[in-house]
Amino acid sequence: MHPHANKFMETARKELKNEQSQMFLLMVSLGAPILRQIGMSTFADIAAAEAYSRAIRADVITRLPELLEAFEKNAVSNGAKVLWAKDAAEANHIILDIANQRGVSYVMKGKSMITEEIGLNDHLIKNGVDVFETDLGEVITQNLKLHPFHLVGPAINVPPSEISEAFLKKGIIDEASTDPVKLGGGARKYLRDKFRNLQMGIVGVNMGVAETGTIINVENEGNIRLIKSSPKTLVAIMSLEKVVPNMADAVSMIRMLTRNCTGQKITSYVSMDSGPQKCDEQDGPEELFIIILDNGRSEIYSDLKTREILKCIRCGACLNTCPVYTKIGGYPYGATYCGPIGQTLTPMLAGMENTSDLYRACTLCGMCKQICPAGIDHPSLLLSYRARQIELKNQKGKKTMQSRGENAIAGLIALGMSHGWLWSLGINLTRPLMNSMAKDGYIGNIPMGAQGWFVCRDLRAIPKKTFHETWDDLPSRPESSGNTSKKEDS
Amino acid sequence: MKVSLFIPCTVDIMMPEIGVDTNTLLSNLGVQTLYHKEQTCCGQPLFNAGYRDHAKRVAKHFIEVFGEDDCVVSPAGSCVCMVKYHYPELLENEPIWQKRALDLAGRIYELSQYIVDVLKVTNLGATFAGKVTYHESCHILRGLNISAQPKKLIAGVEGTQFVELESSTACCGFGGEFAVAYPEISEAMVREKAANFVKSGADVLLLCEPGCLLNISGYLHRNHTGKTALHLASFLAQNIKKV
Repeated sequence: MHPHANKFMETARKELKNEQSQMFLLMVSLGAPILRQIGMSTFADIAAAEAYSRAIRADVITRLPELLEAFEKNAVSNGAKVLWAKDAAEANHIILDIANQRGVSYVMKGKSMITEEIGLNDHLIKNGVDVFETDLGEVITQNLKLHPFHLVGPAINVPPSEISEAFLKKGIIDEASTDPVKLGGGARKYLRDKFRNLQMGIVGVNMGVAETGTIINVENEGNIRLIKSSPKTLVAIMSLEKVVPNMADAVSMIRMLTRNCTGQKITSYVSMDSGPQKCDEQDGPEELFIIILDNGRSEIYSDLKTREILKCIRCGACLNTCPVYTKIGGYPYGATYCGPIGQTLTPMLAGMENTSDLYRACTLCGMCKQICPAGIDHPSLLLSYRARQIELKNQKGKKTMQSRGENAIAGLIALGMSHGWLWSLGINLTRPLMNSMAKDGYIGNIPMGAQGWFVCRDLRAIPKKTFHETWDDLPSRPESSGNTSKKEDS
Repeated sequence: MKVSLFIPCTVDIMMPEIGVDTNTLLSNLGVQTLYHKEQTCCGQPLFNAGYRDHAKRVAKHFIEVFGEDDCVVSPAGSCVCMVKYHYPELLENEPIWQKRALDLAGRIYELSQYIVDVLKVTNLGATFAGKVTYHESCHILRGLNISAQPKKLIAGVEGTQFVELESSTACCGFGGEFAVAYPEISEAMVREKAANFVKSGADVLLLCEPGCLLNISGYLHRNHTGKTALHLASFLAQNIKKV
């Protein structure tokens, strides 16, 4: 993963002006929720379905270690080799080793966020093993060297003309075309050739079933099914939270995943693999490696608050409803994961220090929490990160001039807020300052401080009297007259 | 019936008329209102910025001020959310304070919620000949699950035509510090909100959250002269038939 989230606003500003991005974001924000709604309406009781899937994910993270052990045991007894990777480097090393031992010159990959997170492609290519993405969106992002714009549709914002240019350069198509069917057809033909001689495939995992040791993938293009069934060697890599207790839970989660992701009741392909090819079977890989990746997740798990992030099933529904994501798209988030889930996950994976825009650029509107089929309370997590950041900044020995100053201001505000008379005094001191900048009853800008407000908005001049000061002048109503009038306690 | 008014800082300082209108509506309904002059702010800005220790101090002040009231009513949803849901969280390591916070959480209401759910009134005797629409503020809708109540109060206004607002549940881009720290993103959000309001054809955009009102009316003042956003309390109080 390449966290460059410290360029958040710089990239966001560019994207806000990028007409192409804005057009696709409008489509995503208007279209995706409708598709989801159509999909969800096929449930007899939507609220019950949501409560059920949230309960499954809550159960999973409550007993994750136990489920992972069961998954390993059952996958091994199916004939798979299960390997645990502590971090990105270890996972990359394991996969490169497998490739080198088998002398393969290239691998083909199914769409997987986790390999993006660990930077697998770069590692393999750098070490002489070529990588071909097979999901059409990822074929595009790989060739144009782009980060995912969206969790589910990584290249949803790339116009056909740019795809045509990149495909032409790579020899995927013979002549320029903006016809999606021709572009898709070109990629298909190009990839089929590679599939014919494929020795090793790599896929992510949507769910690992503890009770049966099965790995499940959900997709619409059939490329993952080909990768899972055609090469001799198959490597499946999953982050450790992808496990589910049993097949019934897996099916419930698939129903929820596809509806929240693309609005489909089921995707075109769902593959369930329990171990490599058995002697009475006609196809499937001869050997299956399942790599279970930690990469910081044990630490996330050890904290009861952050543990919640591991409920995520990567459906992308939170992106489609997020008022920030739908304005700026995926690039500003600077990492594999964008939108609300990126905002909660990336600071934990890449550290809090350079990712503060991720947990601060949020209005806490609660759309993500409301839609999440896994039951994640994103706003509450982001609030807890902000508190952590302030705590870290004010730790002994870590204080800077700036953090001292900011903390002193916050302390002063708190002091004012805890004393009514001091509060009134503060207002009476600030009012003339602010109002000296007003014209025709409105303030259009101020020389310092909260200038961001005035980029697009005015502020009404501060009224002469606060409510507090008005209260004594308010007429008493007949109903409230008497000994204990409305002015009681004033 | 006694109600203690919680008038949040945005209203107290920037829009005191909303406080006056809140008092008028409740008084008209025979409610005896009281106002603690020791009140300040709920501490939400500090809490949202991550200054939990400082926010805790403000929370305790709030609990000291309002703790003994039978019923607290406020014309601001996010501030009610702060008291109702974040105080108990903030004070989780101080059981006695947390108990007081939880106790208070059950006695605090947003204005429209109090009028419709507790007083069981939907017609306040107001008339308005025109079209209105309603912005579903995030903390009112998703924080407090309040949506039907303000709409019932609007429906109770004689002569008013309610028109739908496209994407009425989308955030307006306020978010407190967000509007100042991320102005370009905030602008994109409030621009869309204002455009949907204009498109709705309504004369007035109504809402129940002072923060959203500061944002939307500030944007309208600069970019859509003549378009008005109003707090529901003000709209109702202004249009009550004078008898």
